[in-house]
Amino acid sequence: MSAMKELRTMWQDTRMVVLCAISAALYAAVLIPFKVVPLIPGVTELRPANAIPVVCSFLFGPAAAWGSAIGNLVGDFFGGAGPGDFFGFFANLAYGFLPYKIWQTIGGAHSPLERSAAAFAKYLFTCLLASVLCADIVGWGDNLLGLRPFAVLGNLIVLNNMLAASVLAPFLLAAVYPRARAGRLLYDDLMPQGPRPPRGARWCGLALLIAGELGAWAAGNLISAGYWAPAFLPRAMLRAPYSGAVGVVVTPPLALAVLGVCLL
Amino acid sequence: MPIYLYLDRATALHRLHPGVKILALFTIFWSIYWLDQPLALAPIGAILLLAAQYSGSWSNFYRLRWLLLLIMFFTAAVWVIFYRQGSPLLMLGPFPISRASLEFGFGRAFKLAELIAATILFLSTTRVEEFAYGLTWMGMPHRIGFAVTLAFRLAPLFIDSALDVVAAQKLRGHDFSRGGPIARMRGYAPVMVPVFMGALRKANNMAMALEARGFGHTNRPTSLVEYRFRPADWLGVLALSALGAGSFLAYLLGYGAINVGE
Repeated sequence: MSAMKELRTMWQDTRMVVLCAISAALYAAVLIPFKVVPLIPGVTELRPANAIPVVCSFLFGPAAAWGSAIGNLVGDFFGGAGPGDFFGFFANLAYGFLPYKIWQTIGGAHSPLERSAAAFAKYLFTCLLASVLCADIVGWGDNLLGLRPFAVLGNLIVLNNMLAASVLAPFLLAAVYPRARAGRLLYDDLMPQGPRPPRGARWCGLALLIAGELGAWAAGNLISAGYWAPAFLPRAMLRAPYSGAVGVVVTPPLALAVLGVCLL
Repeated sequence: MPIYLYLDRATALHRLHPGVKILALFTIFWSIYWLDQPLALAPIGAILLLAAQYSGSWSNFYRLRWLLLLIMFFTAAVWVIFYRQGSPLLMLGPFPISRASLEFGFGRAFKLAELIAATILFLSTTRVEEFAYGLTWMGMPHRIGFAVTLAFRLAPLFIDSALDVVAAQKLRGHDFSRGGPIARMRGYAPVMVPVFMGALRKANNMAMALEARGFGHTNRPTSLVEYRFRPADWLGVLALSALGAGSFLAYLLGYGAINVGE
């Protein structure tokens, strides 16, 4: 089943709706009280909760994606939200969806629980791609609104998500995945799986995703920090907060990355 | 642990239609977006302060005061450094500080503080059910609205459960504040696993309970509480339209922009 169809059809199943709400509540429940070390006080902190979307993604697939988006919204609402949360919603949707979806393509015969070097490298690569797209969307959105520079949020989010995904999520996954499988609560157990997109299309999607998100990340960083002033842009766009420049230059690679997700 | 910001008061702001409250939040975000100068943002700040006073929401502002102050401080600091426009007044290490960068930095700080203040006001006057009702009223599918409401309702239960596990682990001698960031983060695994397992156990029963009550039978379920659009709501829509249009007009006329002076 294609990525977008999966995100749509999961709402037809009551247990998927419940698992979505549970993923969201778990994310918010760990997000709200456990803010461990502030990275930039008032902006972001080291968040153990960022492990939840990754773990839930491997368990519940698209339900975890929506759960991650809603959970972030719930968490933000308890601490005061802003218009940037609109982008946070979609960024977390990607962060909760990509680990499951990318693993379907690159995981091969490996289980996310496998303790081999190859499986762990694939796991880290999967989480990195999810984290970078999440960071791209938030950084792009916040810079587009002129709230915070891409270079600040874009990098902090990658660091934050990767720390939680590499340090905490493997332990949680090892503890929870076998139990969810025994209780037949995995996405594959709950929803009938239609035919997957052809292998070629999925690899093409992955290539587009990688090219798009890395392009967006590099361009967003360089422009918002004032290190790159594209000659084709009018002078008025090349002033802080660089909202116009980020909009014009970062949007196309970001759209490419989203197209890649659709093909996965 | 009290996490909801809703304050039960009998004010006109509380009684507004949920759709109007969401529209108000959107309009305030829209109005703030177009203005950069701290002084130009002052009228919206004044409106928010009056609304906070009228709705009796000060306790929530007090509760989140440090968050607001930290956000203002760091946003101002980041933008003063990143703005790099105008003639430098002084150098802060390698960063030139100009009148324009100071104005812009403080403008951004006020902007973010006002955006958060608007959300605090919204949450102080709006119940979770009203929020979900408003979203559904505006066209969001019922099942998504239900998931949002359920997540809001389950979050405090899971927080309580997590705090119980933290207390139990502390009794066993686990120190959550020991070590560097990585060690601290890893230290949260013993808390999150039991909370996760408790949540998974609930999933099947909750789904069965929902289906037994007819969940999913129709995409247009009736609601126990119905909200009517009253004259006060129309008045609210008019006032919000004026605020949004006024702010956009100010932007078009060049008020509220930072003068770089070059």
